[in-house]
Amino acid sequence: MSAVVLQSREYDPPLRKKKRQLLPLLLIAPSVLLLIVLVAFPLVFSLRNSFYFWNLQMSPQPMGFIGLGNYRAAVAQSDFFEALRHTLEIALLGTAIEVAAGLAIAHLLVVRLVGIDLCRALLIMPTTIAPIVTGFLFRYMYDAQGGIIPWLIRLVHLPVPPQGLLGNDQTALWAVLFADIWQWTPFCAIVLYAGLLSVPDEIVEAARIDGANGWTILGRITLPMIRKPMAFVAALRLMQIFNLFDLVLVLTRGGPGSASRTLSYNLYQQGLVDFNIGLSSASTWMIVILVNILIALFAIFAFRDIV
Amino acid sequence: MRLGTGRRVLLYLALLLLMVIFIGPILWFILLAIKPPDVAFAQRPVLFFQPSWSAFHEIFINPGTNARQLVNSIIVAGGAVALNLPFSVPAAYAISRFTFRGRKNLMLWYLGLLMAPPVAFLIPYFIVATAVGLTGTYLAMILVLQTIVVPFSVWLLKSFFDDIPIDLEASAALDGARLPAILWHITLPLAAPGLVVTAMFAFVFAWNNAAFPLVLSDQDTATLPIGTLGYFGTAGVSWNDIGAAAVAAMLPPMLIFLIMGRYVVRGLTFGSLKG
Repeated sequence: MSAVVLQSREYDPPLRKKKRQLLPLLLIAPSVLLLIVLVAFPLVFSLRNSFYFWNLQMSPQPMGFIGLGNYRAAVAQSDFFEALRHTLEIALLGTAIEVAAGLAIAHLLVVRLVGIDLCRALLIMPTTIAPIVTGFLFRYMYDAQGGIIPWLIRLVHLPVPPQGLLGNDQTALWAVLFADIWQWTPFCAIVLYAGLLSVPDEIVEAARIDGANGWTILGRITLPMIRKPMAFVAALRLMQIFNLFDLVLVLTRGGPGSASRTLSYNLYQQGLVDFNIGLSSASTWMIVILVNILIALFAIFAFRDIV
Repeated sequence: MRLGTGRRVLLYLALLLLMVIFIGPILWFILLAIKPPDVAFAQRPVLFFQPSWSAFHEIFINPGTNARQLVNSIIVAGGAVALNLPFSVPAAYAISRFTFRGRKNLMLWYLGLLMAPPVAFLIPYFIVATAVGLTGTYLAMILVLQTIVVPFSVWLLKSFFDDIPIDLEASAALDGARLPAILWHITLPLAAPGLVVTAMFAFVFAWNNAAFPLVLSDQDTATLPIGTLGYFGTAGVSWNDIGAAAVAAMLPPMLIFLIMGRYVVRGLTFGSLKG
């Protein structure tokens, strides 16, 4: 080891000053350029088409400028706001349930029990599955004829709608959300478990000796100390449920009727089922604006200190 | 902390319940794949039966409907990871080692891309890929998968570069080594485990993506989940075949996560939490 030890991040490779500014730029440029091409291009494409009437079944080209007509149509049809309401409901409720259940499970995982290491390694398995495959799994388990979930519900003498949980407009959206909760609660649990490990036992013990009860310890010590992982999982889950698509595609196709349509599925329906490119482009831009507001809020409040 | 016996029993019960809820459904699906067709939907769930591998045989060997799709999944996910490395490795190194204006915002931008709704890009990708004749090609899928694989890999790789002491590079520089030599002989060998871990997780990320192959693949290039989705449209759905294909699609990510062990938390949090 050399006598001179540079510990700061600001260490620069031994290059001339001018090059020094250039080098990081050159290293970053390829990835940024690739991503800009792949992301900006569809957005610009959608922006332009959102002002045109264009049904792909009628013509391979845009069929006429109609100004804000698509936006007016998207807002006027009840689908958009219904899908927005569904999306916000499941995103907020789903995130709350997954983070709360994850936190509870994380507290169980830190206890020293025989076999806990194996359980921890296995617990993450639902999260590793492709969401679309989780959809297959739940479609099997929800099946109205012989699925195990209706069977279990009947076992405890609760009613199951005759069309099945996915076929009933009161239950379809929640059945979809339940599959997401099953898949991602382990994710929250494992990340928060790692967060809990960083809370020193001495502080918790000291608080206990001073007479603090479990809830006080949770609110005053644990939660403030695992603030970062909490913010990370909550923001990520909120956004991923906001974008929920794969599960809806496999489980309900937005149905019955439009009872389980999310914003993403609505977009897919407009563009790739009905082939109304103009309308779906207008919806895309309304969603892009919403998503950017959400991401900007996360960037400001949740992610600042983890970068 | 000492636990009383009663409390201990309760905790074990809670752990057992946890496993039943989260692992039970996966086992139930694996059972489906090896069940004889007549008990797949028995009104009262059947737990004991003569296991049969015929569904796997059917879908992968004879007639092997899904064999090609399994290969496609490997090509698409593997190709996406391979293409991403020349883009993400230099970027991650630069972000880890240099301070420059906008560094933090750049990281947030990559993260923002990971949170964008894929469906918003699907329609333009589909139309343009059709126009230039790229639909149904591996290239189209591999290319658009970069929108998630590159940002993910940059984040995770940066955390591994952060772990390599900068002193090593600094001392080599003082000894007169030039930057390319430093990178090649010191940094990259030390970063190799991180590269492997990142590539594995990125593979899972790409493997599990269904939105892009859904619109960009065709009969010959469909990935395994997309091929499986096709079963639902046909009359007389064979749930045993769906179970077998789905189990095959589940296994690689599960194995990778089991192998990754202590890196799982890091992978799940894009490197922001070391675990």
